[in-house]
Formats: sequence, C-alpha cells, structure tokens
Amino acid sequence: MSGANALEVHNLVVRHDMLTAVRGLSFALPVGGRMGLVGESGSGKTLTALALMGLLPMGWQADGSVLHDGVDLIRQSDRALAHRRGRTISMVFQDPLSSLDPVRRVGYQVSSVIRRHMKTSRREAERQTIELFRQMSLPRPEQLVRAYPHEISGGQRQRIMIAMALACYPQLIIADEPTTALDVTVQKQVLRLLNGAVEQRGCALLMITHDLPIIAAMCDTVAVMYAGRIVEMGPVGQVFRSPRHHYTRGLLESQPTMDNIALDGSSRLTSIPGMVPPLHSLPTGCAFHPRCAAATEKCVAEVPTLEGGTRRAACWHPVESMAEAAAS
Amino acid sequence: MNNSAIPAVQAADPPTRRRLPRNASLIIGLVLTGIFLLVALASFFYLPSNPNVPDIRHRLLPAGAPGHWLGTDVLGRDIVAQLMVGARTSILVGAGGATLSLLFGTITGLAAAAAGKLTDETISRGADIMLSIPGMVTALVLAATLGSGALTTILALTAFFTPSFTRVIRSAAMGVLQEDFITAARLYGRGRIFVLARHVLPNIAGVMIVQFTLYFAAGILTEAGLSYLGVGVHRPSISWGMMLNEAQQQVGVSSPLAIWPGFAIVLLVLGLNLLGDGLRDVLDPKLSRRRG
Amino acid sequence: MTIYVLRKLAFFVGAVFVASVAIFLLIRGAGGNVAAVVLGKSATPEAINALAHVYGLDRPLPVQYADWISNMLRGDFGRSFRTNESVADLVTARLSISIPLSLSGLILGLLIAIPVGTYAARNVGTPSGAVLALVSQVGVAVPVFWAGILLSLLFGVRLGWLPTGGWTPWSQSVTEALRSLVLPVLSLGLIMAATLIRYVRSAVLDVMNQDYLRTALAVGMTRTQALLHVGLRNAALPLVTIIGLQIAELIGGTVIIETVFSLPGLSRMILANVAAREVIVVQSTVMIIIVFVITVNLLVDLLYGVLDPRVRATR
Repeated sequence: MSGANALEVHNLVVRHDMLTAVRGLSFALPVGGRMGLVGESGSGKTLTALALMGLLPMGWQADGSVLHDGVDLIRQSDRALAHRRGRTISMVFQDPLSSLDPVRRVGYQVSSVIRRHMKTSRREAERQTIELFRQMSLPRPEQLVRAYPHEISGGQRQRIMIAMALACYPQLIIADEPTTALDVTVQKQVLRLLNGAVEQRGCALLMITHDLPIIAAMCDTVAVMYAGRIVEMGPVGQVFRSPRHHYTRGLLESQPTMDNIALDGSSRLTSIPGMVPPLHSLPTGCAFHPRCAAATEKCVAEVPTLEGGTRRAACWHPVESMAEAAAS
Repeated sequence: MNNSAIPAVQAADPPTRRRLPRNASLIIGLVLTGIFLLVALASFFYLPSNPNVPDIRHRLLPAGAPGHWLGTDVLGRDIVAQLMVGARTSILVGAGGATLSLLFGTITGLAAAAAGKLTDETISRGADIMLSIPGMVTALVLAATLGSGALTTILALTAFFTPSFTRVIRSAAMGVLQEDFITAARLYGRGRIFVLARHVLPNIAGVMIVQFTLYFAAGILTEAGLSYLGVGVHRPSISWGMMLNEAQQQVGVSSPLAIWPGFAIVLLVLGLNLLGDGLRDVLDPKLSRRRG
Repeated sequence: MTIYVLRKLAFFVGAVFVASVAIFLLIRGAGGNVAAVVLGKSATPEAINALAHVYGLDRPLPVQYADWISNMLRGDFGRSFRTNESVADLVTARLSISIPLSLSGLILGLLIAIPVGTYAARNVGTPSGAVLALVSQVGVAVPVFWAGILLSLLFGVRLGWLPTGGWTPWSQSVTEALRSLVLPVLSLGLIMAATLIRYVRSAVLDVMNQDYLRTALAVGMTRTQALLHVGLRNAALPLVTIIGLQIAELIGGTVIIETVFSLPGLSRMILANVAAREVIVVQSTVMIIIVFVITVNLLVDLLYGVLDPRVRATR
C-alpha cells in the first residue's frame, strides 16, 4: 500500500502547549504525484510542512503518522531523520536569501549535501554541482559556484535552493511558498525549472502556497486548508472549476484574474468577510462558520467530516456547483 | 523571515499578563537593590560607631563581638559601619556616573540621530574612538591630574560610559525616527526639537531606564576597582573596594575583612543587573528577545 | 575589500591622533606646573625653571605635542625625570608580565565561554540552562579583584598550592614565573568568561533561529553538526566584534589583577609613576597602551572582513 505512495499522512496533529495548529490532517501523495496545499497564512500549512520534515520549531510537537519510504517519520530518531533529510525527502523554503548560509560559497553549500549523502569525492560532488546548476539554467555555473548568496539575484538563489533539494534525487520534495519572496518576473521561470526537474526525476511534489494559479499550473491534486484542517480536496480541475466548500469558493472568487476584472473597470473581485481565527480561540464546529453565508446551527455545533472518494469536502451545506449557483 | 504560523502563537500570549508575574529577575533585583538603598539611606541617620575613628583596644575583633556584629578591622573600626557608609558611596558614585553619562549620551545620541549625516559621522566615530580607550587607564590619568576622590571617580565613569550611551540612544532614536508617525508629525509642520522631545524621548524612555540600571551596576564595579587601586575615593569616604584593599594589604586574604565587602559588591551589582534585565523584559520586549 | 581596509586604516590614524591629543591635554593641561610638582615644595624657582628648560616644558604646548609625537614615531618615548631611564626600556621590561597575563586571561575566558555559552543556548528553558544563566549573572557581578582574593585564599592560603602574590622573573625560573601567573590568569579568565558566556549564548541563540540553520537541518545535518558547521561559523561574526570591545575591559582587568597579586607589570608601573608625577612616563606609557588597544581593534575589524563575505564585498 505505502509502496505506491511517496507520502501518506494519517491524522497529523501539530501542537504547542495548549495550542493546536494542525488538527488531524490525512492525505496521500502517490509516487511522482504533485499535490498543492493551499490556505491563508495561519491555516497551518507551513507547520504541516515542517512537521513532515521533522523540523518543527522548539516547543512544537507532532502526532499521528507520516509514512514515507516504508517508515513512519514521526517515530524516527533524530539521527535517522537527519539521514533522510535532503536524501529521500527535501524541502525548498520561502526566502532563499535567509535560507542560504551567508558566509559560505553557494557551490560549497550544494556540493557538501552531495558529499554528505552520496559519499562521493569532493571533485565528483563539485562536478555534479556544476551539472545541477546547468540544469537549473544558472548562468556560467563554473563561476557561479564560487559566489556568495548576497552576490547573486533572488531568482538565482532560489534555483540554487532547488538544486540543493534535488541534488540527491529525493522521492519527495516539499516546496513552501517557493516564489513568494521573488519578483513576479522571475517567479514563472523558477516554477518552470522546478516543474521540469521534478518531472525529469519522477519525484513527488508537495507544493505549499496561497497562490491558486500556481497550484493550477503545477499540481494534479489540491487540498485546501482552513484553521488546521483540510476542508476540501480533489483533482485540481474539479476543485477549482466547481468548489464544494464555501471557503474554497471564497478563495477562488477573491483571486484577481484577467477573467474577473472587466475592461470597463467594474470588477467581480470579492473577498471573504472576517479574518482567519487565531489559534487560541478557534470557533466550534466548522471553523469557517463565522465567515460563511450558508452557516446554520449545525455548522456551529458539529465538525463536518471529510469523507468520500478522491473528491471530498468537509461541509454540511456544500456549494451545489458554480453553474447552479450562478443560475439561482 | 519566520513561518507564517508562528506569530499567531505569540498573539495568543498576551505579553503583559504572561511577563509580569513570571519576571523573577525584576522582583529579586528590586528586593536586592531596595535593601542596599535603605542601608545607604540609614547610614545618614544611624551608624553603630564612627567608621573612621580608630579604636586600638578593639582591633581585629571577630564577628559577633559585642557591639561589633561583623567585628572590627586592623585599627578597631567597626565593619558594619564601614559597609553601611560603603553602600552610600557605591550608590552615590554609581548613580552619579550613570546619570551624567545618560545625560550626555542622550544629548549626543539624539544629535547624532537627528542632526544630519555629518554630525552623525562625527559623533559616532568620536564615540568609537572613546570606546577603544581603556577606561581604567583613563581613570588612572584623571586621578593623576585631578587628584582622586568621589567627584573625580564620577567624572571618570562619565567619561567612559558616555560613548556607550551615545551609541544605544542613537540607534534607539533612529529606530523611532523611522516610524510613520514621526513622518506624519514632520509633515504636520512640527520642528525637529519638538519631535525629539515630544515623540522620540517618550519612546526611548524604556531603553534609557534599562541602560541606566545596567550602567549603575557597571559604575559600582568600576568604582570598587578604582578604590581598590587607591585612585578612587578615600577616607573619610569609605568604599567597599578600598576596604578590600586595606584588608588584603594589612591583614591578608584569610581575614573575614576580605569577604564581607566582596559579598556586598556582588549582591548590589547582581541586584541592579537583575533589575535591568527584568525591566528590559517589561519595557522593551524586542530587545529582551535578542539578548535571550 | 580595499575600500573597507582603507576606511579602517583611516579610522585607526584618526583614533590614535585624537587619543594622543586628549592624553596630552589631560596630563599637561590639567596637571599644573610639571617641573614644580616633580621637584617638590622646597624647590627654588630657578631650579624649577632650569628643569622645565632642560625638558622643554617651557615651550608652547603645540610645540611640545609635536615634539612628543615625532619622538614617539622615531621610537623615542622619553625618559624618567628622576632615574633618567628610557620609557621604552621600562615598558618592555614590564610587558613580559602584562602581555602573557592578559592574553592568557582572554584565551582562558574564550575557552570557557564558547562551549558553555553554546551549551546554554541549546538548553534555554531547561533547568541546566537556567542554572548556567544564573551562574554567569552572578559571575558578571563579581569584581575581578575579589575573584583574585578568593582564589588566592583557596589555592594560596588554604591549600598552599600556588603563590598568593609576587613575581619570579622568567630569566630566573620559568616554572616559578608560570606558577605566579596561574592564579592571576585564572581570576582574569573566569571573570572574562562570565561576561563572554552571555554574549556567546545570545549570539548562538540568534543563529539558531536563523533560516539557514533550518536549511542545514533540512539537507541532513543533525542538530549538533548544524550548530558546529553552520552555527558557530556565523556566530563568530558578532563574537569577533565583542572580543574587540572587550579588549579595553581586559586591560582594565589586567591593571587590577596585577595589583591583587603584586605583579610588577605595566599597570603597577603606571600607578607608581602617577604617584611620582612622572608626567612623561605616564603620558607615553598610556599612549602605548591605547595604541595597542586601537591596533587590536583594527585587527579585529580586518578579521571581521575576512570572516564575512558581505563586508568584503563593499567596494
């Protein structure tokens, strides 16, 4: 069963003292699959990623099970986990400037990962690093390996982070908002390179972002997170074309796209009323109910479950479909 | 750049409610400092005996001797009385040095932060130069030229604490000057001095209080050192550092005389440092996080 | 890097100049009639004038200053009024005590502070971390001379292992000289360590919260490896600055410790000459110390440039 999946998460809970930021997350990511995890800041998506990597900040604790490569990552020793990170599972972080060691050359930072996990000679690791830089379309890789992070552009830095993450051919790569810190003009290029490299290596991708178009372009399934839970998941096309959860629908409608900005200046751009609830005062029942127009007593009292096949939504009163909603 | 999820936790922890009761540093610091302040005050009204008048018949009495709680020194002078006057000296000199350097440091620091690039360069480089001159050596030179004494010691402390204050005040003031409400006040037509007095000073008051406390402590340590060397205060003023020197020179280190003044210094300096750290947590949460 | 070095060199020259003017004015301006002070109350005005003339003390201050500086640059630091010994000879004799003492004190302080501070940073919030924080908080409050007194009480008087003071020159017995340095170095090092532990702790804590440390973990380092390979290398940057600032502190501690253990070092010489009103000796010796400190600061700045590629890049 787990042989077919690069990652299987069962009932993941992430908490800090009394605060629970991730409240029972379950999903599976098949080998070579690409899944988008979408949600606003504070929805728990970054903590989910860090929990999968075993990199939670001090004081945070994860429960549940995370099956990857035949083992439960949550129950691994620190040493065993360290041995996996960067080798079978790796991560690309949001801000490439602060994520790279400022006092070491970028080439060294990549080649030392290769030497650590592949036990190659220094010369071989350096050769592979240059090759990786070339695959990432970095200019003049032979010179660039000798640069320090502050000497190169943001897009180049993030491509180096990606090269570092891919260096040991991992089965799974987790990308946490990999383009948020970049200029709009280079975002596309970085995503295209990430996409290509992932595809070529057949490695699974978990893409964490609040940017729906990125998910649409890069992933085959999507999970929408709200207040520490998945509220809706399914194939990207289906979820985005006809969302079932009112939150997903709200998210989609608040996206500025060329479609919903009419040329006469009028706009169908809407926003979801209210704010993401803080962790210490999460609403009862469906956490979205205070912001939901369709909420009833039941939504206040009971937590809706996420059941069904590939297409699931945790809502007591699901949106019927975009077409019907528009018609009524 | 931290994870988006982390700030939510901090927001969940109301800072004032969580900090105050748990702030053991503040409480211990207040108690220790308070005790010494009371002792110093009391020394103006009551002393067990005159700490400067020799009493040859009662030389080197042990602790617990009648009328002499902690005994007497080589000339028969009461140790408790000397410690009490020593507290007075430490606090006056330490507070004097810290106050004067706070005053000069605030003036120069604000000038550096607000009066343009040239002034800033001049003051900042000047402070750097002064910081690279060893304070102890400056104090020796001052003592040599002005003669030693409490006033010279205060001046020496001022000379080598001022540049540190200048730097701290400058960077704190620059932080405030970058805030939007300052820009708003300037756009509103407020003059430079008005903005500094009305907006910047109140916002850096926390930093000033914390720094004052920490340099108060440093001043006491330095005064003790100078008096130990014989270039600080001298009788009829009494300093704990001077007592330690007398004990070591005249009786030897095994004398209990070489113990009590040291304890007094450690407790008072510790108290002030704890108070400073505790105040920092309350007044300046941003800084406390950095310093850990 | 070139511009960075040039800027630091310019600061060095400026600092030496300002310090020398300050010292000169302080000693000459505030010291009264030097010749009269040297000769004492019974001296006749003629004798005072004669002495002043011999040493050029009757010339205008700017001329005397220029003279002093140009002599110093040629390596002539002046002579004692009373004994006519050259300051250069006096100073070199004392440096064989002061330099080993202060350097070993600093090194011992660092050897204690780096591991202990790192350990404290890794154990924030645990009982052992709290104990360490308390110990260093108390250590900071201990005056260096009292530490010296307590140590000589324990190891000198009670246990009798080491001398409580005095000095045997290196030329007579290296072992004895070393033995008389043990307690002074220990006092100085422990007190330096108490201060440095707090800086190391906060520097390491700061680095531990950086994204690049998380990256180090994400590519397969264990916490310890990440801390050693990435953490300490980055924490070294603030530490180098701190060490530079602590040099002035170190000199102060050395001055006091030399007195505690009756070591005839540089500071005892200054104290004696301050008392004897040997203006030229004090002036030149103080200047030598200040130049030494400013030089160390320059070296620290240059080292910082070597350690941090971001500084190196400032063109």
